[in-house]
Amino acid sequence: MNDRRVVVSGIGVVSALGLDEETFWQNMIAGKCGIRQISAFDLTDYKARNGSEVNNEQLASVMKTRQIGNSDRAIDLAMTASFEALESSGMNPANPSPQNIEMAVIIGSGAGCNQTMSAAHEAYETKGFKSVRPTIIPRSMANAISSQISMKFKFTGPNYVVVSACTSATTAIGIAYRMIKSGIVDLAITGGTDTVFERRIYAGWTKLGVMSTNPVPEKSCRPFDRDRDGCVLGEGAGILVLESLESALRRKVRIRGEICGFGESSDASHITHPSPEGQALAIRNALKSAGMTPKDIGFINAHGTATRTNDECESKSIRLAMETETDRIPVASNKSFFGHTLGASGAIETIVTLLGLEKKIVPANLNLDNPDPQCNLNFVGKEPMPLADKTAMKNSFGFGGNNAVLVLRRHEG
Amino acid sequence: MTQEQIIEKLRAMMRKSSQAQVDWDAINAGSPIASLGFDSLSILDLVYDIQQELGIEFEAEELVNVRTVGQLAAFLEDKQK
Repeated sequence: MNDRRVVVSGIGVVSALGLDEETFWQNMIAGKCGIRQISAFDLTDYKARNGSEVNNEQLASVMKTRQIGNSDRAIDLAMTASFEALESSGMNPANPSPQNIEMAVIIGSGAGCNQTMSAAHEAYETKGFKSVRPTIIPRSMANAISSQISMKFKFTGPNYVVVSACTSATTAIGIAYRMIKSGIVDLAITGGTDTVFERRIYAGWTKLGVMSTNPVPEKSCRPFDRDRDGCVLGEGAGILVLESLESALRRKVRIRGEICGFGESSDASHITHPSPEGQALAIRNALKSAGMTPKDIGFINAHGTATRTNDECESKSIRLAMETETDRIPVASNKSFFGHTLGASGAIETIVTLLGLEKKIVPANLNLDNPDPQCNLNFVGKEPMPLADKTAMKNSFGFGGNNAVLVLRRHEG
Repeated sequence: MTQEQIIEKLRAMMRKSSQAQVDWDAINAGSPIASLGFDSLSILDLVYDIQQELGIEFEAEELVNVRTVGQLAAFLEDKQK
């Protein structure tokens, strides 16, 4: 079978900036920041105190309305975003078809169902063996996320969870894209989900030395800024419905954009320290996959974590791969709005990129007061920027030396 | 705790782990447990929740002859003694 075009027909997002696409987007364009002091646990011992948390009351309300039962928080976030994505793709998630749909479910997550496992550990340590819930294994296995989505909506295609740290969602979308492109399935629900606001896990993050200790939450995440001091974590989920162009036209659904390339690579050097050469290889592979050159790219949604190391390295990687086009291409990171959502970041930021292409405007670099001279790129300023170009790139780079890049295009049907 | 009080607690716990749409307010001592939406996995969660909530210990196998909500409440009342 010849390669098929792959389009996006459904979008769902759950974030501190909103539990639906419209609210989320309006907040970004209005320059609102979702980062606050963390509320999930006592912060006495923690130096890094800011995070981007999904509002519990709002989440509970949406889940109740949609009759989504409580599970692990990562599953709750993914399920809620899936519901919106399916609905926006013209399906009826509240009443799944009695004829099962052979739809793939490929979801990224860095930390998986860690909150359930942490609760089990705590119960065992404090109350002993008898306190261990007998269903802890099926509740906390990483692939419970994709399995629960498959069961809830009766999707009978392959389902699994992709784990590659901060590239998880981008890689998941890339795998789903390849499955549809090559004719393995016509439809896929894909994206990512992650949540890390659990005191033991977050203790590990705050001790790693990569987190911002800026006392002002809204100003703490500063990608590419001279005064950045580390990343701020967030939780959330971004879910997309992908399908072949033929399938979308047959179903007469609104097409939200096109995935037209995916590239990946490994640094093969250090578990946390990134490599410009490794990242540039993933960018080049994405361009090659899309049949494009740097001249075709009109915008880059950067990984931009706001650590000193990442942002300097990514700036070099972009310059290596995009060569003389680097000075022309506007670059932004979305993390100043909703933090680093880890294994969900690639999906949430892909959604931002697709919406930007569709609406011809990209959100600002919220806290970029003084661009770091070591990050020599053409940055979007502190206000949203009109975007005429129709093709953009989404970078994701993760611990483990995992690099994944998507090429996205506005649909002009 | 009386059987009525135990049934009241069971109703809340069953509502939490059941996978079926059930009119929980209509549940009474005669309601068959098999009709309340539990499978081989979720019944383990229910047993666990009961043990944690009531602070008693028993093996799931001891419930093999328990068919109704009332029989379960009677079994748990007996275990509390």
